[in-house]
Amino acid sequence: MAGAIFLALEIGETSLERRLAGTLTTLARATRLEDGAADSFSVVIRAPDDLNGLPEPVRRAVRRGGGTVRLEDEFRRFETWRVLVSTARSGAPIMVAVPLDDSEDALELLAGILWTTAICVTALALLIGLATGLLAQRRVARINDTLERLAAGDLAARTGRTRSRDDLDQIARQLDVTAGELERLVGQTRHLSASIAHDLRTPLARLRATLEMLPEGDTRGAALEEAGRLSDIFDTIMRVARIEAAQGTDGFEDVDLNALAAELAEIFGPVVEDAGKSLTVDATHPRTVSADRAMLVQAMANLIQNALAHGGDEVVIMVEGATIGVADTGPGVDPTQYDEILKPMVRLDAARTTEGSGLGLALVRAGADRHGAELVLSGHKPQGFRVLLKFAGL
Amino acid sequence: MRILLLEDDEKLGAWILSGLSEEGHVVDHFTDGKDALLAGMAQDYDILILDRMVPTLDGLAVLKSLRASKDTTPALFLTALAEIDARVEGFEAGGDDYLTKPFAFAELSARVNALGRRRDGGDATPAAPTVLRHGDLSLDLLARRCERQGQVIELMAKEFKLLEYFMRRPGRLVTRTMLLEQVWDMSFDPTTSVVETHISRLRAKIDKPFAEALIRTRRGEGYVFGK
Repeated sequence: MAGAIFLALEIGETSLERRLAGTLTTLARATRLEDGAADSFSVVIRAPDDLNGLPEPVRRAVRRGGGTVRLEDEFRRFETWRVLVSTARSGAPIMVAVPLDDSEDALELLAGILWTTAICVTALALLIGLATGLLAQRRVARINDTLERLAAGDLAARTGRTRSRDDLDQIARQLDVTAGELERLVGQTRHLSASIAHDLRTPLARLRATLEMLPEGDTRGAALEEAGRLSDIFDTIMRVARIEAAQGTDGFEDVDLNALAAELAEIFGPVVEDAGKSLTVDATHPRTVSADRAMLVQAMANLIQNALAHGGDEVVIMVEGATIGVADTGPGVDPTQYDEILKPMVRLDAARTTEGSGLGLALVRAGADRHGAELVLSGHKPQGFRVLLKFAGL
Repeated sequence: MRILLLEDDEKLGAWILSGLSEEGHVVDHFTDGKDALLAGMAQDYDILILDRMVPTLDGLAVLKSLRASKDTTPALFLTALAEIDARVEGFEAGGDDYLTKPFAFAELSARVNALGRRRDGGDATPAAPTVLRHGDLSLDLLARRCERQGQVIELMAKEFKLLEYFMRRPGRLVTRTMLLEQVWDMSFDPTTSVVETHISRLRAKIDKPFAEALIRTRRGEGYVFGK
């Protein structure tokens, strides 16, 4: 910018010089020296042999044949004069002198105007840019905020309308439409799951009532057991669905993983011991996480149950930082089947002989998703299978 | 006690009616929400048992209307909606307890009795005993000491709690669900045999060494302590 202005000034100055020289020549040619002198306020026109009243440096310049003269004292209020010796139309030699201060003033003024304009334009451009940027940033922030709220489960979150018709506005509008659709679908799913729950639980309750009214005996007991198992499986399915449909952090509390591991060991330790195995806790730097406590206990219970049913002689509750999980020393699981075992109702061939609904890990996965925790399946050293829930921590 | 029952399923209604009647309660059974509300406003009941999804007026609306008219009768919701939201709704409407279908009658009975006790002046029943006795078995709640036939029996914390729960309900059916909720504070079935394991350990200590067993299993239903 400054370079361009400098260049413009340079060009301006050169052209000014050139024009000045031209003007002086034209003046000289046009002037008749009938009166011997044709001085005006700012132009001195004389014959070269009549230089009375002119300062000495000007006279010297005339003798040199012309040039620019800088005076120590002002002459007719100007310090700098351009002197030209030429030939008038009459053929007589003539000297013309004009002050240069005017031109320099003009040049300075021009420079001033140019610089001011430049500064104004620059400032304006910056201001417009800043305003546009801030405005865009505010809209991006609003979109961001809406996305965050949606992710946190607030499905009623919308970006709201803006008046501009640009890309950002289009993205915002699209986001609102998508969020609306999402909200509608989730609402529908909830309604559906409530209907399913009602339509299935009522006959189950009737079945239970009918069985309880039967006379006591082995058949009644066996039937009640089966009915109980049926409701348990149904409960688990509903629970997975419910966890998957749940939103936000309602029901979350601070859970100390160390205390939780100890409590789990107390609850399930005897069960594991009675199966002839051992349950230990391996905790390093346990932290506190924000979680739905009951859901976490349930997920851990399922993992312990899995380790007990399919693992080896040792079941380990592992806590490391904001990570909690269960490891066993069994034969392990082929890593290519990790994705498979997380699907509901999938049971690997080896597990078909043992009891279970195949919903255990699906419930763990749903629980992990609900907490935004990462579910990590891996082998355990030296052998075995390990499932960890990595929380983001507090 | 005089109980209002709102349950639109005839079979379930009849089963609850006969069960509660057998326990000596007087039950008025309604299958329609409006009828139940009118009856609830006209008469003085000791307990309300309300189903959620019923014709004309939801059990929730019935209770809200009753509470609006300063009726403080303890209310128990029966429902096929197990969602936390539905539970919260129930409590916000002024419900005191909540039972999800399907349920064992023993669970309903236990909850009804608990609500009845609350109405009669809370759990602080006159001179709550600090030592529970059943035949030759005694459980000192303050000294945390268990004895049978004069022999001291060492119990782990959960075993102690389990036995206490049983001894407070002699002769009554106790289900797995009740034990999980009351002893382990778990509102879900952990699928592992937590209850069975602790019962079997408790039996090994208080029953095995003695001639008469105190804890009996009722297959598919639960356990009964005492005779």
